[in-house]
Amino acid sequence: MRSLKYQLKSVWKDKFCLMSFLLPILAAAALNLMGSIDLSSLGQLHFGVLEEDLPGQTVAWLERYGPVTYCKTPTELINLVNDPSTNVIGVKADGTTIKTMIAGDELEVFRQAAATLPALFEQQADARQTKVLVLESPDVLENLQDIFIPAILIVAMFMGCTFNAINIISEKEDGVAFVNEILPMPPARYVMQKIAVGFLFCSLSSVITACICLRLSPQTLLIMLVLILLSSFLSSLIGLLIGRISDSLMTGVACIKVVMLLFIAVPVLCTLTGASGPVSIICNLVPSRPAFEGIMALSAGNTKAAMENTGILAIHSILWCSLYILFPTRRKGFLHGSGTKTGN
Amino acid sequence: MRKSFCALLKKDCRMLTSGKFFLMTVGFLALYTAYVNLGYVRFMQMPPYHVYLYDPAGTQTEVSPLVQTVDSAEDLDAALQADANSVGLNAASGKVQVVLYAGAKPIDRHRADYALSLLHPSVEHPLEITGTNTPESKARKEITCELLFFELTAVGFLGIAAVLFREKNMGVIRVHAVLPPAKDLFLFSKLLVFLFSDLCFSILLILLNTGFADGIRILPAVLFQTVILSLLMALSGLLCALLLKDFRQFTLAYLLIAVFAATPVFLSANTSIKFDWIRWHPFYHVYMGLKNACFGTSTPLILHIGSVGAIVLLYLAVRYAFFREMGKEG
Repeated sequence: MRSLKYQLKSVWKDKFCLMSFLLPILAAAALNLMGSIDLSSLGQLHFGVLEEDLPGQTVAWLERYGPVTYCKTPTELINLVNDPSTNVIGVKADGTTIKTMIAGDELEVFRQAAATLPALFEQQADARQTKVLVLESPDVLENLQDIFIPAILIVAMFMGCTFNAINIISEKEDGVAFVNEILPMPPARYVMQKIAVGFLFCSLSSVITACICLRLSPQTLLIMLVLILLSSFLSSLIGLLIGRISDSLMTGVACIKVVMLLFIAVPVLCTLTGASGPVSIICNLVPSRPAFEGIMALSAGNTKAAMENTGILAIHSILWCSLYILFPTRRKGFLHGSGTKTGN
Repeated sequence: MRKSFCALLKKDCRMLTSGKFFLMTVGFLALYTAYVNLGYVRFMQMPPYHVYLYDPAGTQTEVSPLVQTVDSAEDLDAALQADANSVGLNAASGKVQVVLYAGAKPIDRHRADYALSLLHPSVEHPLEITGTNTPESKARKEITCELLFFELTAVGFLGIAAVLFREKNMGVIRVHAVLPPAKDLFLFSKLLVFLFSDLCFSILLILLNTGFADGIRILPAVLFQTVILSLLMALSGLLCALLLKDFRQFTLAYLLIAVFAATPVFLSANTSIKFDWIRWHPFYHVYMGLKNACFGTSTPLILHIGSVGAIVLLYLAVRYAFFREMGKEG
């Protein structure tokens, strides 16, 4: 316990380290504030028109569907339409009706919208008479926001991995690792202590992040806590494993990069593409995926799916633990490393 | 002088090779290429809204083939629930009623009107195409540009920092203080090695992922931007390595790049979400320079001047930190 206190003290002194745990919390707060940015504008239609080309009535009709930007010259309009970051549809007068232009690189949905816009314009009188029943939206429509929150939570949960890995590697580089080797402390306790530091900070930051982002009911709160604790434990353990296999900072950085990319990209992509079947099972091999799915399920109020994912995470914990125990310590690497140290 | 510069270059190359830096770069190149060609291009698709029609009496006669007919009101509900972007048309009462799940208001209006227009398909109106890219070539250029930016910022920064940090810890920098070669050569050789590796990486990434013909056309502009970005990031990496005490502190720098620098920039530059403050974000302009180069549009001269100014300033700061480090007592 006392040595754990020293570990915590050393981290506490390092303000930069602490800040890396604070970052996800800040990001969560920022996301909460930015809640007002309308992510649905992603699928929105944008129109570009020439000044004094279309009658005011037509422009008002266009504005019902999305924002309209005025351009002074035809070249300006073409540049606006061609801008790769937006999907602007150029609209020009064509006698009494309209014609549209697009850059040709738009997604199918915008292409179709542009192609049918003149028809919509001609049939606007009919359309006004039809009754439209708008149903209360299910959660699916807020997809993007829904993905952002678990993604930030995943970053918070798996921060412990980066922290632990770099901690171990820098200890190796500084030679502290050798001192630890000869300390009268069983290796298991040393490992537990190392995990504890990453685990504590990472669960704390995830819990705060979760409190900021998610509004959970008391029943789901417990599952969420278990999810966070399991993921934090896993990430600290994986960090330790990375620290163990990397001989130098460079290799460590590479490993962390790959792991972080996998941890964030796999669950997000799986959700975006709606992976199912064997692909989904393979994706579950990445521990962040059940964590991500669990959070998604919890925020949708699906307790059963969340429990399942927590179970998968528990299996992961056991597997990674045994992997860590079975993984041979690289004696040779240590000796070689110490040789170079004294050589310098 | 040339001899000592060559010796320094050789030493840096050897150090990167032993740190498996080049191997890592090649590995990432393979990973990214596989991702673009096997994954991303397939994900980036967004079909038009699906329209479902429930018309038990068969009142609608000239329906467009894009409309899918369902057999019962329950099926209509189920279809709408499964695909929240879709639109339902219910003609059970004789008059057509549009049913849809609420999204953003303007899109809802368009979805409803679009669905109705499919009930009375009119003649195809000609669509004017103004650009040269296809959806696939756009997706390829966009993701290649993002990956290139991410790789140059993260690897340039962390790579040079890791290398220099090691040298700093070993005391190589202090040894340099008493060696005859000009002090700037030490920095130049590092920058040059990273620049060279970044340039090779961009050439390969662009050619492998945007297609050969397109790639060759945009390559000169992209390489110019690569030089700017590589120097900027390598110099910031050097500065951080000289100033930060512990490599653990780089976790923060790394996260800062990933979360606060890259995400808003990518959002603003690639989607229609535009933040008002984004023009104060230095990364945004650097990224836009790279993106403009990828899409063959020109970048305002003032941005180039700004980048060169930033490089010079960073270099001076690095030089100052470097001399201070050399002067430190062991």
